[in-house]
Amino acid sequence: MFIQFFYTLRDRGVPVTPTSYLRLQKALSVGLVTSLEDFYTVARALLVKSERYFDLYDQVFLHHFRGVELKDPETHELTDIAKALLEEWLKDPAAVAAAFGADVKKLKKMTPEELIRYFLDRLKEQTEAHHGGNRWIGTRGTSPVGHSGHHPEGMRVGGVSRNKSAVKVAMDRRYRDYSQEGPLTQAQLGEALKRLRRMVPAGPKDLVNVDKTIRETMRNAGEIEIVFDRRLTDRLKVILMIDNGGWSMEPYVDLVQTLFSYARSQFKDLRTYYFHNSVYDVVWQDAQRFYRPERLDDFALRDPETRLILLGDASMSPYELMYAGGAIDYTQRSTRPSIDRLKFLASLFRHAVWLNPAPLREWDRVRTIGIIRQVFPMYELTLDGLEAAVRRLAAKT
Amino acid sequence: MKEQQPYPRTFRGASRYVLDEELAKIVNVSMALEMPLLLKGEPGTGKTMLAYAIAESLGMPLITLNVKSSMKLVDALYQYDTLTRLNDSRFGDSKRDVSDIEAYIRMGKIGQSFVADEKTVLLIDEIDKADTDFQDDMLDVLDQMSFDIIEIDKTVKAKNRPVVIITSNAKKDLSDPFLGRCNFHHIAFPEPEMMRRIVEVHFPKLSEDVAQACIQTFYRLREIGGVEKKPATRELINWIRALRSDPDFRPALLQRGEVPYLGVLYKKSSDLTLAARAVARLRRQ
Repeated sequence: MFIQFFYTLRDRGVPVTPTSYLRLQKALSVGLVTSLEDFYTVARALLVKSERYFDLYDQVFLHHFRGVELKDPETHELTDIAKALLEEWLKDPAAVAAAFGADVKKLKKMTPEELIRYFLDRLKEQTEAHHGGNRWIGTRGTSPVGHSGHHPEGMRVGGVSRNKSAVKVAMDRRYRDYSQEGPLTQAQLGEALKRLRRMVPAGPKDLVNVDKTIRETMRNAGEIEIVFDRRLTDRLKVILMIDNGGWSMEPYVDLVQTLFSYARSQFKDLRTYYFHNSVYDVVWQDAQRFYRPERLDDFALRDPETRLILLGDASMSPYELMYAGGAIDYTQRSTRPSIDRLKFLASLFRHAVWLNPAPLREWDRVRTIGIIRQVFPMYELTLDGLEAAVRRLAAKT
Repeated sequence: MKEQQPYPRTFRGASRYVLDEELAKIVNVSMALEMPLLLKGEPGTGKTMLAYAIAESLGMPLITLNVKSSMKLVDALYQYDTLTRLNDSRFGDSKRDVSDIEAYIRMGKIGQSFVADEKTVLLIDEIDKADTDFQDDMLDVLDQMSFDIIEIDKTVKAKNRPVVIITSNAKKDLSDPFLGRCNFHHIAFPEPEMMRRIVEVHFPKLSEDVAQACIQTFYRLREIGGVEKKPATRELINWIRALRSDPDFRPALLQRGEVPYLGVLYKKSSDLTLAARAVARLRRQ
């Protein structure tokens, strides 16, 4: 029962699992579900495991049980479609070319990368031109399972409903707000960063080690021997380098400040430096990037176990990164290209990551991001990204 | 289809907890399927209170495990009290048998819910504080309803399967295997009507106009943007309590746009200044 419903959920991007589907069947078979309203609630509790998908669930439910048309995924990642198009192209070049009204021979000369680029451009034109684009693109995999209309497959709709009907409830789409991720708050960042702390014993020996005490007492033939240990304290050194220059970082300033203010209270030994777009001969201790410069070469004197976190959108003109003297600030005429500087930092500190506030899906479009990613492991500045970055930083090897 | 099994003990809400139908249904389904129920929602929407309410209305004892970030799973299961045993072996003035290790095993919260003679409600509060290993391992234990005590090589099996309620404050999703084994519900913020009923349960003697004025002001305050922690049900209840204890308070005050005791509603200093500014602006209008 409800296999179609299950698959529509899946197609729409709600991560539903077969196990949960079987569980739903179990719930149905023990007679817990006696109405469509029950089904709406129970199926959601069993199948959907995050409020982010509640809105999507409401939509699919409406579509399935009331025949409401699912909206075309306008915002669908065009890149995905473009990639699918490439596959299609490999199977049947002529059809794809015809769909775009292009010359097959001309397209055949392109490399796969160029082709994707080409598809993307065309797709963008189309979405702008007639809203929704070419139909046959839309039918790729994600299309609704046909307008099957009202079919509560053999579902017993019994009893008088005491409250709003499930369809009405779904129609309210109460969870619309939850489908987007909320902003990062200090507390959330804190939870993620906390894992970074490295506890090492330090200070006076004033903590009873129970296990050792017992072992020593036994060795002492029952005469109590109390063993003291040093307390664990955090001795992790962290260097944070923040790109605070230029309009390209402007949208992320709030986010970065949250991270920064938290980091300050979290780590005993935290140094913060600032740079503009990329790192050249010096970085600054002051946010104006003027008064207190520190030569990059001096970082060689630092503890190599220090964790280095670079934070920036890594988006700039390639020459700023690749050429000597490419710095955007005229005061900074560097003798070496920035990329060498970054590699130098990476060689000094084994534990280094680059956090990028720009959304992951945009990374492919910026060349310098790709280049810097080869030097530093790069993570998105979201909770998930931060956690992955912390895992990387905390790794022993 | 099997015959409908009778569930004599179903959950209908308790005296201090206002329950919506939807949530009641989910609680009942989770109990019938014997699956843990994971509750998420804004802080202060009554996730923890739900467990209390379930325990109260089903007449089961409630066992609460408050998860801490440093917690290991074994702490929640059992503890081998080596220190007492050492003490006993050294001074020997207790009635316990020192050679019997089992006498020194104490059950942790999960362990207690397993060995209890009657069915219990086990509340695992704020699971998101622990790391993912803890979370996954814990669900293994809850799945199998048994764990081993390695010191005495004994397996503890649950006499009665507890009703497991797990709460999480995290915006972030828990791990997939974890989610796969739970039922899930997100407690949305209550609508004003619902809030009216919640307030009524807590303050049965509160007059209609005061309640109305408070709730109206409260929802207006929640609309102030840029606040990191919006006031929730818990704050509203405390706020009303504060207003009631103030002999000078008149509901007309709220209608004029004044908001006394703003500090009860906003716990963060940055939020408080933001809200105070917004209130002052509204009053001028």
